[in-house]
Amino acid sequence: MSATTQLPATPPSGRAPAATTAPAPAPAPRRRRAALRSERPGVRLAAWVTVVVCGGFGLLPVYWLLATALTPRDQVFAYPPRLFPAAPTLDAFAALASNEQLFVYLRNSVVVSVITAVLSVLVSAYMGYSFSKFRYRGRRSLMYLVLASQMFPQALLLVTLYSVFSAYGLLNTYTALVLSFTTFTLPLCVWMLKGFFDTIPDELVEAARVDGASRLRIIHSIVLPLAAPGLIAAGLFAFVRGWNDFIFALTLAGPDKQTLPPGLVNTFIGEASTAWPELMAASLVVSLPVAIAFIALQKYLVGGLTAGAVKG
Amino acid sequence: MTVSEVHTTKHTESQQAPRRLSDGQFAVLLLLPGVALLAGVVLYPLVAALVTAFFEQSLVIPGRTFVGLQNIVDVLQGDFLRLLGQTLVFTVGTTVLPFVVGFALALALNTKIRGAKVLRGLMLIPWLVPGVVVSFLWMWIFNANYGVMNALLETLGLVDGPQAWLAQPGTAMGAVILAKTWQSFPWMMVMLLAGLQTVPGELHEAAEMDGAGTVRRFLAITLPHLKGIVGLVLLLEFIWNFQHFDIIYVLTGGGPAGATQTFATAVYETAFHGFDLGRAGALGLLWMVLLMGLVVVYVRFSEKGEER
Repeated sequence: MSATTQLPATPPSGRAPAATTAPAPAPAPRRRRAALRSERPGVRLAAWVTVVVCGGFGLLPVYWLLATALTPRDQVFAYPPRLFPAAPTLDAFAALASNEQLFVYLRNSVVVSVITAVLSVLVSAYMGYSFSKFRYRGRRSLMYLVLASQMFPQALLLVTLYSVFSAYGLLNTYTALVLSFTTFTLPLCVWMLKGFFDTIPDELVEAARVDGASRLRIIHSIVLPLAAPGLIAAGLFAFVRGWNDFIFALTLAGPDKQTLPPGLVNTFIGEASTAWPELMAASLVVSLPVAIAFIALQKYLVGGLTAGAVKG
Repeated sequence: MTVSEVHTTKHTESQQAPRRLSDGQFAVLLLLPGVALLAGVVLYPLVAALVTAFFEQSLVIPGRTFVGLQNIVDVLQGDFLRLLGQTLVFTVGTTVLPFVVGFALALALNTKIRGAKVLRGLMLIPWLVPGVVVSFLWMWIFNANYGVMNALLETLGLVDGPQAWLAQPGTAMGAVILAKTWQSFPWMMVMLLAGLQTVPGELHEAAEMDGAGTVRRFLAITLPHLKGIVGLVLLLEFIWNFQHFDIIYVLTGGGPAGATQTFATAVYETAFHGFDLGRAGALGLLWMVLLMGLVVVYVRFSEKGEER
């Protein structure tokens, strides 16, 4: 989907992601040292060369992002570029703070992403519960249809979605963005929550039913609290999905309802001379919530993404 | 139908007469909000977009005329092959390169080198940052006048003078692929590392005792064990990149002179800058036919994992 650009819209791989299984923990230090001795020098050398080359490819751009954000504006237009800013400064961040339009984008991003997270958790929880605890005709087909829905190109959907939202007067509204984002979180969130609900024993649900609890009550008072970690993970994922989106907010909303990603493009790209330190500073700021969400999610994410796949 | 409406109906119906609903009906009610969203935001727009392929229709002028296969013929006789070629170059490049980098790193970090755990975490940064940030950063790195890429390559003596990487038809696609590779390789690394950790250590120990070298063990034990996950990550990455939009659009907008145009950017441009919905629909129809083949393979692949 599209997706990737977002906190990777990593689809659950085939099986319901057993979201709780984290990858094997690192071996105890003692065993590690023992293993080290048995590794041949050639292997270790190859490992180090790989880490330096590929690691450099991964991390040098990150350094450049940080360094540019701290470079004074008059130093950035120099060639060859200074690899270490001579007088690091936070001026770029200060310049961002004085740009009122950026706060409009920020507010839109927060509002849209938070509502998307809440709505997505609600909708996916009901759907995931239905898939997990009931058996009916067409269940499996529908599950795979949900999974496959993320494979349809968003650029193509927008061709008519734009007209649909326009017909209902929803262009340039939060509603259009929230409905779109929520839909695209469903494949991952529904499958992830189904995985969580699968781990809740049917006997528990049955027992509550015998005690006379209604089916909705069972969901709200028993199942959802038990699946709380899953709900949080799904909510964070949905938040990030909304936060990172570019194409929908670019197309369906104007400057007063646009989120940060298209907002930053509008603000900085296409100018005669781009304010690089400010753009890099803004990039850091817009990445921060995603990093925080990821650290909170890590346990579920890495396990959830891979658990279903590794045995494939 | 909006989501809130669906919610209200469900609540009132099931609360007023909870026992009158069969389990099956209740299960279907739970599905309704999600199904409504999928129908409204994915299925209807998809079908409607494909239908526009057979009409002459503008984004800004109401009304449309049925033109049969004319749009499709026009696209096929026009730049379809060029778009297909460029989309494939982008897709293959952004699938193979991240795989190579991600696999190399996964293998390296799976050995017991010091700091592997910290590095594993740091390597995820490119994957975490929003797609527009990836574009901004690489736009700056590839900057023709002040870019650090030119400085690096000149120092190494690999280029004669500063290059406008993103503005030259010959280099733009490579530059875009490199930026996308930077974003994608961590995901490959995480998936492959997880796969590597399921390779039983005893197998390696036994083989080593029998005198099998590192390369031999890699080919005979590690690779066969990873077959499933390698197939999955390559397939998924291919499907995603086949429709990737953000990084291409922000970095080059499909330019220069259409050199980085793919199906995704071409459909978008045609609809929202050219206002030609019929042509966009026709491009999209051909694009979907190719994509559906891939999606069918993916669902088959997933089902194989599910049925046990």
